Amino acid sequence: MRSPAAAIAWEFRRRHRWGLMAVIAYLLFIATLRLSRFGAAERVDFEDAESFALAVVVPLTATFLYLLAVFTHGLAGDLAARQSMYPARMFTLPVTAAALAGWPMVYGTVSMATLWTVTRLFGVWPSGIDVPVLWPALLAASLLAWTQALTWMPYGLPGLRVIVTILWLAAIDAVVMVALHFRASEPVMLALLAPHLPLAYLAARHALSRARRGDVPDWRGLFLRGGTPEQAHSRATRRFSSPTRAQEWLEWKRHGRSLPLLVGILLPVELSLLVVFRETPVLVLETLVLALTTPPIMAAFVGATVAKGNPSGSDPHGLSPFIATRPLTSASLVAAKLTMTIRSTLAAWVLVLIAIPAALVLSGTTPLVLDRAREEFAFLGAPRAVALGCLIITALVMSTWKQLVNGLFIGLSGREWAVKASIFGVLSFLAVIGPAARWLFGSSAAIAVVWNALPWIIAVLVCVKLTAAAWVAFRLQQNRLLGDGALVLGAACWDVSVFVLYGVLVWLVPEVLVRGSLLALVAIQEVPLARISAAPLALAWNRHR
Amino acid sequence: MVHVSELTRRFGGRTVLASVSLTIPRGTVHGLVGANGAGKTTLIKHVLGLLRAESGSVRVFGLDPVADPVGVLSRIGYLSEENDLPGWMSVEELIRYSRAFYPAWDDVYTEELRTIFKLDPGARIKSLSKGQKARAGLLVALAYRPELLVLDEPSSGLDPIVRRDILGAVLRTIADEGRTVLFSSHLLDEVEQVADHVTMISQGRVVLSAPLDAIKEAHRVGERLPTLEEVFVARVGTPAVKDP
Repeated sequence: MRSPAAAIAWEFRRRHRWGLMAVIAYLLFIATLRLSRFGAAERVDFEDAESFALAVVVPLTATFLYLLAVFTHGLAGDLAARQSMYPARMFTLPVTAAALAGWPMVYGTVSMATLWTVTRLFGVWPSGIDVPVLWPALLAASLLAWTQALTWMPYGLPGLRVIVTILWLAAIDAVVMVALHFRASEPVMLALLAPHLPLAYLAARHALSRARRGDVPDWRGLFLRGGTPEQAHSRATRRFSSPTRAQEWLEWKRHGRSLPLLVGILLPVELSLLVVFRETPVLVLETLVLALTTPPIMAAFVGATVAKGNPSGSDPHGLSPFIATRPLTSASLVAAKLTMTIRSTLAAWVLVLIAIPAALVLSGTTPLVLDRAREEFAFLGAPRAVALGCLIITALVMSTWKQLVNGLFIGLSGREWAVKASIFGVLSFLAVIGPAARWLFGSSAAIAVVWNALPWIIAVLVCVKLTAAAWVAFRLQQNRLLGDGALVLGAACWDVSVFVLYGVLVWLVPEVLVRGSLLALVAIQEVPLARISAAPLALAWNRHR
Repeated sequence: MVHVSELTRRFGGRTVLASVSLTIPRGTVHGLVGANGAGKTTLIKHVLGLLRAESGSVRVFGLDPVADPVGVLSRIGYLSEENDLPGWMSVEELIRYSRAFYPAWDDVYTEELRTIFKLDPGARIKSLSKGQKARAGLLVALAYRPELLVLDEPSSGLDPIVRRDILGAVLRTIADEGRTVLFSSHLLDEVEQVADHVTMISQGRVVLSAPLDAIKEAHRVGERLPTLEEVFVARVGTPAVKDP
């Protein structure tokens, strides 16, 4: 290796060689496709916007997200931690903070700009749209550079990184949107975006200088319970009633407060929009929807860290010996995590359910929302409207909890390849599901086909789920991770949950719209079973390698 | 108390333990010595159930530590080489948390150890020095008077005063009748001070396992009894700690 720059480049290339080769293969593929199928024609008549999305937008977005994860070191870092996501082992290299920040930023921004330029020049684009060449490349590079700077920054609170990064990137996007709205020319767009790269570099350099000297602010004290030193001592020396309670306490202290904290920080910002939009009913309702979906969205970020067993260790996915040698069964260790996630979910929703009415009253938008509620009552009838409202809130609460626990069986396995494969799968799914849904809802024929096949699709999913659950139950019993009593109790609880959900759905949805058998399948599919049951197996696999 | 039979472990294509057999009787201080990378930590992880035996068997108190982690781990005190205590806990929170897992936890002994080790109860673990962290780890490993104390390279990178504390803890544990210590180290002079039975391990194989006195007697040169380091060099061919 001739220089630090070459060594840093080599590490990116070596660690992510398969992914980067896939990106290069993708770029070669689109270029070959265009040249072979469309010749020299730069523009193609897509049948509809969905085809365009599937052919261009989806692969481009997925590749963009992948490069973002690679060049921020996001695949190995802890997004919710207070410490910098930059690999701490690199802080001891004999190079300046400028080099540590600069080289990854150079490689990342060049990759992003290349991705856009190649896609723009060699990809297929719809005719009738003037696709600019330069400024989107600069925008992609700027977004990457800022994401690097903001994720490498140490923060005073766990999870604050997610909020700051999302808000800042959204602000940059908003500026671009406004400029486009006013039909800004390419030079103006370039002038708007050009300062971002040096500014992001300075921010990243400052962030790494701080992180390198261990300068991590700690604002958690602002949210801790106060009291005299004697009271604090009394709290710290109070006995736990059982080992399980002690483990639940540890899990709560490690992860439990992150979600309520994130929601508590975001809600005031979101709900303050009610004051701004109070004259526009549609925007008021959209703001409320945004506030109601904040816990499940934030839970997806927190969920990624809940399963990490050893975030500060050399192997962040492995289980620390301190936890692995607790005299508790793997099922008890998982149960403590599940209890923590339930409490965390409830705490976040208590905040939401207090904050929204308070914000409605303070912003003077209560009458508007009540009018809308009366319309729903008149349309559906009071009992159904109330039941529907309760069902939506319950579904959102359950969704929040599911986001926290769905990935446990992957994360607790402690295998980096499993974690990376699941991230890749989720990104691919997210990239595909939007355009696929748009395509589906744009074609009445497709809707009819899918609607007719829906019972079979759900039936297949239910079969897969129940088969997986049966296998997991067999393995849990065979490995003595759960006793027969616990397995029977768990199955009974799941049955009751499915029956309750089925009953509510049958009462709520008229038989003429959806058959009862389909509702039963939906109820079976929606109540968590296989993945959550697999968590103790995954932990045991990790704990006893 | 600990019975390891024909244990073999591979990581990828590399054999880390090859047909290792070992028996540790109750009431002994068993020194596990070898150079870095010899397989000491891998063997200890099998005893704790953190690694599953690929072939061969491991029994601790007659139990399989993988099949019954609660039955085994509740009777073991363990000080990890990694010293991975949660940095966000204070010392008194660590004591409060650890106490919940062991019914035999002795509060008086805990306070005695905390005073000897000069640990501030309000101090965060992450703010402690490496030696203080080792002392805190030792405190929670000893405070319930475990039947088996497992120390994995406890002195590694520590100053002589902390090493003295650790050796003192080993001696204190031996003083309790029927308690057993498994103590891994590449610092042979330390092992020689406290161990009454020594197992030498090199490249994943047990090259010698016998009472310390018998080992020395067997390697006697004239009137002089050799040091453990000299015996190690004679059996393995290289010293446990290589000169820089």
